[in-house]
Amino acid sequence: MNEQLRAISELNRVIHEPGRLMIVALLGAAKECDFLYLQHETEMNKGNLSSHLARLEEAGYVEIEKTYRGKVPQTLLRLTRAGRAAFGEYRKGLKAAF
Amino acid sequence: MKDELQNYMDRPKRYDNIDGTGEMAFGLMALGYTFLNYLQAVLPEDSMWRHGFASMLLFFTVILLMFGLILWVPKAIKKRITWPRTGYVARRVGGKSWWTAMVGAAAFSAVIAAGVGCLMRFDRRHDWISLSWMGAAAIYAAGYAFWIYRMERHHPWKWLVLLFMALGLLAIALIAPADFVGLWRPMLLFIGLT
Repeated sequence: MNEQLRAISELNRVIHEPGRLMIVALLGAAKECDFLYLQHETEMNKGNLSSHLARLEEAGYVEIEKTYRGKVPQTLLRLTRAGRAAFGEYRKGLKAAF
Repeated sequence: MKDELQNYMDRPKRYDNIDGTGEMAFGLMALGYTFLNYLQAVLPEDSMWRHGFASMLLFFTVILLMFGLILWVPKAIKKRITWPRTGYVARRVGGKSWWTAMVGAAAFSAVIAAGVGCLMRFDRRHDWISLSWMGAAAIYAAGYAFWIYRMERHHPWKWLVLLFMALGLLAIALIAPADFVGLWRPMLLFIGLT
């Protein structure tokens, strides 16, 4: 099989989905952020965003913390160490593919 | 050239100053220095606040108050106004590129300070009115333009602020009937207010 095709086929499917790729890219550059920020930046609706975050959490790439800022509930999101490593590998794979 | 993914990863960095609190903090700092200079001008010559320990106390009190405001005001604005509307993000700092930028900025500042120091000395010896402060104002405007280009390109309204600031400083430099010492007060006040 052509090397580039092999590189494309080996890309991480969890991160490769466009919605999840946006989320991981944003979280990759941030120490942490809240759900509202991700919603604004990705322009996804709440259901869609929650579903992607659940998938990323299941894969161990994202950490979700439900807390309060004053009296207002807030959901904080962070990329885990495994998530950062996986994203780094994904970027390398993408560069190799193209 | 940056790829699309890298552009996306730069968004939290640009987002950090979406509300202009960075400029606000710098403005507060400039106003603080203007206030100190104003006190120097209005206090009588024989006032205890002009000499010795009292003057140091006054200076450090104003500086501490200023830094307190610089730290507290932007945070309060972000907490009460920005984050409830746009969401909260804490961008990552550190890493090789951050340290490179810090060292580069320190080196650049040292070179500029040395350059302005030389100009000021030359100005005093050769009586070139306002040269050093006009130079400092030009460097400040250039620095702000560079910062907008690097960090805030996606907020085009900041270019208007820069234009307004540049025109204002130019007007002060050309119109204000003051010498080298007198010019820096209105310039700093203008920078603080903008």
